[in-house]
Amino acid sequence: MQKYISQQNLNILLDKLIAEGTRVVAPRMDAGTPLYEPLKNSGEMLTDQLPRRSAKEAFFPVCEEIMSYEKERQQITLTDVDPARFPETVLVGVRPCDAAAIPVLDAVFSWDYKDEFFLERRKKTTIIGLACTIADDACFCTAVGLSPSDTRGSDLFLTPLEGGGYACETYSDKGETLINNHSGLFTRQSKTKTLPLAEPQTEQIDLKKVKKWLDEHFEDPLWDGNAVRCVGCGACAFVCPACHCFDIVDEGTEKAGKRRKNWDACGFWKFTHHASGHNPRDLQPKRYRNRIMHKFKYYDDKFGQTLCTGCGRCVRICPVGIDIAAIVEDISRKD
Amino acid sequence: MKSIDTSIYTAVTEAIRGEAKRLLSEGQISVIVGYVAGRRTGSAQPIVVTNAADAAILIFTPACVNNLAVYLTKAKKEIPKSGKIGIIVKGCDLKALVGLMGESQLKREDLYLIGVPCAGVLASTMQPAAGLTADTIAPKCRECDAHLPTGCDFVPVAALPPQLQLEGVYTAEIARLEALTSAERWAYWKEQFAKCIKCYACRQVCPFCFCEQCLCDRNKPQMVETTPRPAGNTAWHIVRAMHLAGRCAGCAECERVCPMDIPLNLLNRKMAKELKELFDYEAGFEVNEKSPLTTFTEKDDQSFIK
Amino acid sequence: MCDHTNKNIYLPYLATVAEVVDETPDVRTLRLIFQDEQVRGSFHFRAGQFAEYSAFGAGESTFCIASSPTRTGYIECCFRSVGRVTEELRRLEVGDCMGVRGPYGNSYPIEEFYGKNLVFVAGGIALPPLRTLIWNCLDLRDKFGEITIVYGARTEDDLVYKRELMEWQERGDVRLVKTVDPGGDGVGWDGRVGFVPTILEETAPSADNTVALVCGPPVMIKFTLPVLEKLGFSDDQVYTTLENRMKCGLGKCGRCNVGNVYVCKDGPVFTARQVKGMPMEF
Repeated sequence: MQKYISQQNLNILLDKLIAEGTRVVAPRMDAGTPLYEPLKNSGEMLTDQLPRRSAKEAFFPVCEEIMSYEKERQQITLTDVDPARFPETVLVGVRPCDAAAIPVLDAVFSWDYKDEFFLERRKKTTIIGLACTIADDACFCTAVGLSPSDTRGSDLFLTPLEGGGYACETYSDKGETLINNHSGLFTRQSKTKTLPLAEPQTEQIDLKKVKKWLDEHFEDPLWDGNAVRCVGCGACAFVCPACHCFDIVDEGTEKAGKRRKNWDACGFWKFTHHASGHNPRDLQPKRYRNRIMHKFKYYDDKFGQTLCTGCGRCVRICPVGIDIAAIVEDISRKD
Repeated sequence: MKSIDTSIYTAVTEAIRGEAKRLLSEGQISVIVGYVAGRRTGSAQPIVVTNAADAAILIFTPACVNNLAVYLTKAKKEIPKSGKIGIIVKGCDLKALVGLMGESQLKREDLYLIGVPCAGVLASTMQPAAGLTADTIAPKCRECDAHLPTGCDFVPVAALPPQLQLEGVYTAEIARLEALTSAERWAYWKEQFAKCIKCYACRQVCPFCFCEQCLCDRNKPQMVETTPRPAGNTAWHIVRAMHLAGRCAGCAECERVCPMDIPLNLLNRKMAKELKELFDYEAGFEVNEKSPLTTFTEKDDQSFIK
Repeated sequence: MCDHTNKNIYLPYLATVAEVVDETPDVRTLRLIFQDEQVRGSFHFRAGQFAEYSAFGAGESTFCIASSPTRTGYIECCFRSVGRVTEELRRLEVGDCMGVRGPYGNSYPIEEFYGKNLVFVAGGIALPPLRTLIWNCLDLRDKFGEITIVYGARTEDDLVYKRELMEWQERGDVRLVKTVDPGGDGVGWDGRVGFVPTILEETAPSADNTVALVCGPPVMIKFTLPVLEKLGFSDDQVYTTLENRMKCGLGKCGRCNVGNVYVCKDGPVFTARQVKGMPMEF
């Protein structure tokens, strides 16, 4: 049943959670760059800007320690990381394109082996989504079957209303629990209209048709044509809500150090480089092909989902203006 | 808000199209590296054109921010390097090409340079439809001394319309940082480098980062940590600034492409300032085979020897 | 299937180096014994599976588990020193400690081979992924028909498991055909001379009720598969193992895929039919 929360009460809620020791993560301005970061107080929360990076890092950090080692003569001691130390978190102001990516990532992080670094954080996090009233022409959530008011991935979803405040709807037990624990701050939703929601200009792409083309066109001039401009950085993968490739490295000395899991990207030359010198993806078109294939075919083959939520961050940030929406639209128009 | 006169960009676009079509159909060049419009309103992206019919899609607008010189380096193996290569260059891009020639990476006779008169480009193409104004123009353009490239094979439109005089920002910011104590300066850069996520966009767009395997990508030995942590990030950026000192042409692409808004060009401008003071060196349009950090002359400053 | 009792899937088991054998000037075998008694007792794997081996401070490297699952109490790995981690592993001495994560990947469907003849074809450093199965089968000799091993390397020095080649040669129930590349034979070489695919063709094992298991450098595979086809082997009768750059080894880091196939999860063991269906990306 729909509830209503005023902006003031939302601020009270967030400040209350912060005071209780819950980590409240929301879009906030960090030295001029909007990012999803822990808030010191509710006043820091931004509601009118898309963070430069996605919300995936609340579950899959840029870098994290997965164990440490110490060597004493011939003996090694390993110290594990305690998942109990991951804090209770409320992720608030999450855009639909960011929230929808989280359940998509659940698939790979629980495929056979359970990655507790991701899953434990998932267990401890409640996601409060927020509908979008603004979009630009890089946004293409509508092209991949999402929308500015899609509630996928959100435990609780806020839609801004005319006159201020938000309509809120719960979509999970976590959402219910959050409302029940702070029921005084929520009232019944009256019939106030929502603010006009954003209208991304892209139309729904036939993803099945795109996948069929990808099934049959591993070799195609399209890859050279598009990748010729790609310079092989990792910006697209790093800002993406759905990209999840990572590296595991040991850093330290022979005596002591840490093993870390860090973001990595298939666009990098050395991503698939063997120690022998052989590299199956030795040229940029092969690497760029892998990006598109992974997002629009392989992840579907393996997990039945598309690895893209149309947030448009890669489009905005690409140093050379590669537009993944244009490429996928182009593919969908091929016979 | 002061708006910058961009009326000549249309004339430049027409001229580029005509020249590219002529060159390709006459077989004078085998490819031309230029810019084409993207799907988003006002956007531009690099393109490699190999046939005369496609010359009609080439453009030059304030969204043509890329330094295309990067595509001619040995790091980019996908661009066909046979035959003469045509390339569109702004003044800043040309300085980089000149630097590459000085380092024996390119031969002038292999290139057909189409130098474009440029009033400036956007600081960021995250919203490419933005008009070019004093607020949206790239910081590097505010102090540009290369609006009209020289020594090229073709320059459409021989002169620029009168330019807005804009105050540079790098000089003032470097002066501000120089006036801080070391501890304050260190705190400033620590905060900046903590933002780095090691996407290497800065390296990948830089025409001078053409090493086929970057020192920091090797692991025997591992010179710099790959993890995006403050210590390794600081080392990475310092290593890159040092490797670029005396070479960087100031195209500021590194700063533009950084997804985390790190003011990377400050480091390079500071190094350029040092190089000017110590060795009277600056990047320009003349090929210089004796780069200051690879040659020694008797009059070089020796005050560091105590 | 991985036997981890702890929740951190990236945490390796500690193992002590019990034995070091130099197979060739740059290829070494390490015999490892798990330090934890419970792990020693419960670590089970199937032939074909691999593990991630840690040289702490340098990182992890992926190799098959080269010993047979029928021989318990230890595992073995065999590697060439090529990069940072393998060079660090090469510095380990008996008594030193290293890490093992695994077993990962699929395995040879050995039960489907019962009652059949087996032909093993290997080249150079690629014998270890087959050696695990060879010993597995020899330890269960009655279950299989004729066993033929065709193994070659560039020179006699480059052959690995030299002691075991002698053992196989001396057994009455295995046919070993060993070879070196033309020009690779030295004084006293008692084997054949010729590239592995050529020698395989000359050996001409029957394809009838036979499974072929092939492992070698890409060029050897390229010329061996057509020979097997010529001898009458269908693509379902031929098995191989693929390797690719790996980090997590368990299907998450997104690095080892060949098309939509994750070598660490869907492989490393594949039939020739599966390999031929993959895009050329390995």
